[in-house]
Amino acid sequence: MDPTTKATRESRLRVLTSVPLQEEVVLVRIDLAGDEAEPLLERGIVPGCRLCPVHYAPGGGPVVCRVDGSLVAFRREMATCLCVRSVQEAMGLLDAN
Amino acid sequence: MADSALRVALVGPPNSGKSTLFNQLTRLRQRVGNYPGVTVERCSGVATVDGEALEVIDLPGIHGLSSRSPDQAVTRDVLTGMMEDGRPPDAVILVLDATRLETHLMIAEPVLALGLRTLVVLTMVDELDERGGEMNVAGLSERLGVEAVLLNARRSESVAPVREFLRTLLPARPETQECPVVAAVEPSVRPGRPLPLVDQFKARRRRVQAIGRAARYRGPGPSKATQRIDAVVLHRIWGPAVFLACVVLVFQSIFRGAVPLMDATEAAVAAGGGLLEGALPASWFRSLLVDGVWAGVGAVVVFLPQILVLFLFIAVLEDSGYMARAAVVADRLMQRAGLQGQSFLPLLSGYACAVPAIMAARTVEDDRDRIATMFVTPFMTCSARLPVYALLIAAFVPEGPLLGPVLGRRAAALLALYALGLAGAVATAAALKRSLLRNRATPFVMELPPYRWPTARSVGARLLGRAWVFLARVGKIIMTVSVVLSLLARFPTGPEGTAPAIEDSALAAVGHFIEPAVAPFGFDWRIGIGLVTSLAAREVIVGTLGTIYGIEAADESSPELQAALQDSLDAGAAAALLVFFVFALQCMSTVAVMRRETGGWRWPALQFGYMLALGLGGAWVANALL
Repeated sequence: MDPTTKATRESRLRVLTSVPLQEEVVLVRIDLAGDEAEPLLERGIVPGCRLCPVHYAPGGGPVVCRVDGSLVAFRREMATCLCVRSVQEAMGLLDAN
Repeated sequence: MADSALRVALVGPPNSGKSTLFNQLTRLRQRVGNYPGVTVERCSGVATVDGEALEVIDLPGIHGLSSRSPDQAVTRDVLTGMMEDGRPPDAVILVLDATRLETHLMIAEPVLALGLRTLVVLTMVDELDERGGEMNVAGLSERLGVEAVLLNARRSESVAPVREFLRTLLPARPETQECPVVAAVEPSVRPGRPLPLVDQFKARRRRVQAIGRAARYRGPGPSKATQRIDAVVLHRIWGPAVFLACVVLVFQSIFRGAVPLMDATEAAVAAGGGLLEGALPASWFRSLLVDGVWAGVGAVVVFLPQILVLFLFIAVLEDSGYMARAAVVADRLMQRAGLQGQSFLPLLSGYACAVPAIMAARTVEDDRDRIATMFVTPFMTCSARLPVYALLIAAFVPEGPLLGPVLGRRAAALLALYALGLAGAVATAAALKRSLLRNRATPFVMELPPYRWPTARSVGARLLGRAWVFLARVGKIIMTVSVVLSLLARFPTGPEGTAPAIEDSALAAVGHFIEPAVAPFGFDWRIGIGLVTSLAAREVIVGTLGTIYGIEAADESSPELQAALQDSLDAGAAAALLVFFVFALQCMSTVAVMRRETGGWRWPALQFGYMLALGLGGAWVANALL
């Protein structure tokens, strides 16, 4: 891949905590060690899945996301390790490939 | 039940309807215990089909079979025959929530890969229909390579297909089956394992999606009711308010609502003891029976109303789906003490009584956080400490305003004791989580189930189970301790078999023996005996001191007892005694329940020793300072 294109794609990545409520995004990367990521993976939260933050608990508490019709809550520290991009962009990349 | 009976294991994620199905199949013929060496509960029951008894095991709710959590490790070990007499189950019933099928199918693959005879049970099908979802169960069954049935486990008549499956097991031991879906069981996870794990799960998710397509699965739309309720209970202002209201309701119900029931239980136990005493001739045996065994039973039974009230709330909150939200709301606060959101309710319940509170810590999923929660729960000021606090505060703290009409001196003293206990809990939890219970990574990840009405059958079954566990397991230990204390107080007997004066009893000998040990804190042998007898339960010290000082029917409000204490103790010793009771674990019921919940003596012994050391250290400091 052209390094410029790759850099552009990377620059459009966001962490989950920066996503506004009710915006659906596609998970691109999980920046966690395997054992830390495993509870997410077991629940189907893997790169490529769609996430939609629906609640941020008060006082900096966990974020609640809709995934495959389920609601899953996890701490914001963990959410900052989830790199996502918008659905439109992900679909565009899929078409381009 | 014969060891050779067919064994069937229920497996599935939390809140999938697994335990409801278990109750339907076993009709409350259940046993609750612990798997050896771990805090994971073992629930088994008997299902009868065509006159044949089958053992049904309700395994913990899990999302995977790795060794990351004790629940998952136990489930894996049971399914692979590494537990339960080295025999794997003859069949597995895999329970999945049809409204969350794509998430729940993630566990199907490693379970089916074990090659055990399996029935897939899809629950909540009525909800799937109501919310516009659909699926072709035959397609799912074909794709999975095992039989699959739809079920609304809340209706007893709908478990017929499951009973039919159990019937097919009867004629002969079933053979293992080939699973067309997966090649191998998921390997256990090692800390810090790098990312290939992600690829494994990505592949699994693709297969799960293919299964969903083959079953023409269309997930239900979001539950409108759940969305509306969550908009309130997870709101940044209303969420904590609802949480606080729930907390107050639970606390008040345990602290006040259960009191009439406890009083009635206590009166019934006293009446029973009186009848027993009247029916038997005076002898050491009668004394042992009435003051030891019967009083021991009473000391256990009196906690039952509080336990039932607390577990009624827990069952309703869990089954309705709110408990998971409460954990989310409380998580940030608990994180500061190194704990998780689920720890909040047990700690709060500890203000009423540590015994049900420690049992309530089962809601904490992570094993280390669960132990840390149970370990610090007795620091919360339980109701048994109040008589001791009331007696000593009334005797040594003069009445009068401290902050005008807002706060009096005695109220401030009581508040300070509550705060000291809370500080002890927070500091201990933080220290534990940085040392003995230092976390491997234990991320807080929790699935929030849709809101559902709890059923009376499910709530009732859980209450019965809790009551039985408490009475059968804890009762044995507390009764033994009561009998030993009673024997020490009753011996050596007089010439006509009468009990000796307390000063001449073996218990007093124990008091004199330990007097040098308690003297540095300003205590004499009488307080020493009080400390020994209050090992059974904190409030026992009030009655013991009444007996020793010869004051009849002494309670915390007796002016005579307060005056006697003022003569025996100086201000430093009184403060030392208060601080000792803030920290020391003077409650055998708590030790017993801790032993039961942790499956061994290691943690209760450590907890007792630590709290005793803290109590004695605090008492020494208080006595030295004042």
